[in-house]
Amino acid sequence: MTRAVVVGAGLAGLTAATALARHGVEVTVLEARDRVGGRTRGIEVAPDAWADAGAAYLGDRHTELHLLLSELGIKTTPTTMHGASRFDLGQDARTEAGRFPPLAAVALGDLFDRLAELTARIDPVAPWRTPGAEQLDRQTAAEWAAEQLSHPDARTFFPLFLGEMMAADPAAVSVLHMAFYLRSGGGLRYLNAFEGGAQQDRVAGGAHQVCERLAAGLGDRVRTGEPVRTVHQEATGATVVTERAAYPADAVVLALPPLLAEALSYQPPLPAPRAGRHTTPGCAIKVHLVYPAPLWRRHGLSGWSVSATGPLLSTVDDSPADAGPGVLTGFVTGAEAHRFAALTPEQRRAAAEAHAARLFPELPPPTDCLVTDWVNDPYSHGCYAALLGPGDWLAHGPQLAAAHQRLFFAGTETSTEFFGLMEGAIRSGHRAAAQLLATC
Amino acid sequence: MTVDAAARTEAVTAIVRRVLEAPQAGPEEDFFELGGDSLLATRVLSAIAREFGVELTFDDFLMAPTGAALAERVAALGAGVRERTVLQVPMAEAPAERSEVGA
Ligand SMILES: Cc1cc2nc3c(=O)[nH]c(=O)nc-3n(C[C@H](O)[C@H](O)[C@H](O)COP(=O)(O)OP(=O)(O)OC[C@H]3O[C@@H](n4cnc5c(N)ncnc54)[C@H](O)[C@@H]3O)c2cc1C
Repeated sequence: MTRAVVVGAGLAGLTAATALARHGVEVTVLEARDRVGGRTRGIEVAPDAWADAGAAYLGDRHTELHLLLSELGIKTTPTTMHGASRFDLGQDARTEAGRFPPLAAVALGDLFDRLAELTARIDPVAPWRTPGAEQLDRQTAAEWAAEQLSHPDARTFFPLFLGEMMAADPAAVSVLHMAFYLRSGGGLRYLNAFEGGAQQDRVAGGAHQVCERLAAGLGDRVRTGEPVRTVHQEATGATVVTERAAYPADAVVLALPPLLAEALSYQPPLPAPRAGRHTTPGCAIKVHLVYPAPLWRRHGLSGWSVSATGPLLSTVDDSPADAGPGVLTGFVTGAEAHRFAALTPEQRRAAAEAHAARLFPELPPPTDCLVTDWVNDPYSHGCYAALLGPGDWLAHGPQLAAAHQRLFFAGTETSTEFFGLMEGAIRSGHRAAAQLLATC
Repeated sequence: MTVDAAARTEAVTAIVRRVLEAPQAGPEEDFFELGGDSLLATRVLSAIAREFGVELTFDDFLMAPTGAALAERVAALGAGVRERTVLQVPMAEAPAERSEVGA
C-alpha cells in the first residue's frame, strides 16, 4: 500500500489527502499549527456567531468548492449589499446610492478597457507562454499605471482596485501577474462583482468549517502541531522530518504557499526554486467591527465603503445571516497593510475605530474590534496569496505545479484556475492527488 | 430622425453590443436588462468618449441606459463641446474580454 505524507492542512492539503485516502493510500497530514484550515479561519464574534478572519466569499463558478460544500452538508448565504455606500476619496465622506464611486466614469472605463485588453492576452494555462510575456513580466503594475493612466481618478482608483482584488501593492506585482490573476479568477468583471460574481455568497457559519469537516473525515490521519522542517528524498522513499518526528513515505504532497515551501530544507536540494527575490506575501489584514446588530441598515446603508486612505480601504457587511450581531469587515490591503501591521494592537484598534467613526458617524462605537494579521503570521506569510513580482512568472511559473520525483506540489498558488482563491486551492489538491496516484 | 441622429444611434448601439458581447442588442433595449453592470457601463462611456469626444457621467448613463437614449445624450452635449480631459493617451480599440464577460 502506498504511504503518502501531505504537508499542510489547508484546503489544498485536506482535499488532496481526502482524495488519496479514498483511493486506498495510507495518508498522514502534518500541520504546523494547532488548528486546520490555513488561510480559512473562523472567529466567534458572539456566542455561536462566526465571522471569517480569512477567506469568505465565493461565486457560482467556484464549482469544486460548491461540490465540496454540498458533500459536507454546508450551506451558503448571499452577501448582502442593499442600500447606499460611503466613499471617502479625498473630499469629505460621501454617500452614493449604489456601489459606484464618485469618480469620473470615463476614466474608470478607460482603466477597465486597458485591464481587459491585458487580461484577454494572457495564456490562461501557461501564463509564461503569453505572447509578449517577457515584457509584461518585466514591468510592475505601478510602472504600468504611471505610464498608462493619465486621469487622477484612474490613478486614485487603481491601487484600491488591486488591493481589493488581490491584496497587492501595485509596486509588488508584475503586469503579467496582475493580468494573469484577473484572468484566472474569471475576468475583471466576475472578480469585481458581488451578485453574479466572485463575492456573491459566503459560507454560512464560516468557511473554516470546510477544513474542519474534511479533517474530521480523515480522523487521526491529521496531526496538528507538527511543523515540517526537512524533506529527504532517497531512491527507496522519502522522509518528512518535523520538529517532533520523522515520517517515512513513498510520496509527499507539499500543500503550502510557495514562499513557505521554499523555506523548508530539501535533501537533496530541489532542482529549481519555486519563488524568487521578488516573490512577496500578499498583504491583507482583516478588521472585524462588531455591533449589537447591523445598525447601518437602519440608516439605509449597505455597510459598503471605499476610502482612498487607510486603514480601512473598504468595508463590507459580513453579519451572520440570522438575526444577531452586526459585523462590518474592514480590509486593510497593499502598502496600507504594512503600515498597519507595524502598529501596536492598541494603535490598530484606535485607528480602525477612528476610521469607522469618520465613515459612519451615525453608528455608535463598535462593541468589539478584532484584527487578524496575516502579514506577520509565520504559517501563512501573507494572503490572499503569494504575489509574483517582476521576473517571477518566467523564472518560476513552470515549476509551481511540476512534480519532482516523489514530491508533488499543491496550494492555491499552484492552480492556474482561480489562483489565490479557495477554489484554486481545492482544484490544486485534486490535481496533486491525481498526479501522485498516476505514479502508484 | 435625421441621418446624423440615426447614424449616432447606430454607432452607440454598436458600442453597447461590443461591450456586452450581445450582437443582437437593439437600440431600445435596457443595458442592465441585457446583463450589463456598472463596470461594463464605464466601458461604454469610455468608448463613447473615444468615438464622440463626449464625456458622459455615470448618472447620465443611469438615466439613459439604452443605445438610443445614450445617443441622444451625446447629441445634447454635443461632440467636441466638452474638453477631452480624460483620454489624453490614444488607445487602440480594446477587444472586449471573451468568455469572461456576460457569461
Ligand atoms: C484575509 C483573507 C481573505 C481571503 N478572501 C478570500 C475569499 O473571499 N475567497 C476566496 O476564495 N479566497 C480568499 N482568500 C484566499 C484563500 O484563503 C486561500 O486561497 C486558500 O485558503 C489557500 O488554501 P491552501 O490550502 O492553498 O493554503 P493554506 O490555507 O495556506 O494552507 C497551508 C497550510 O500549511 C500549513 N503550514 C505552513 N507551513 C507549514 C510547515 N512548515 N509544516 C506543516 N504545515 C505548514 C499552514 O499552517 C496551513 O494550514 C483569502 C485569504 C485571506 C487570508
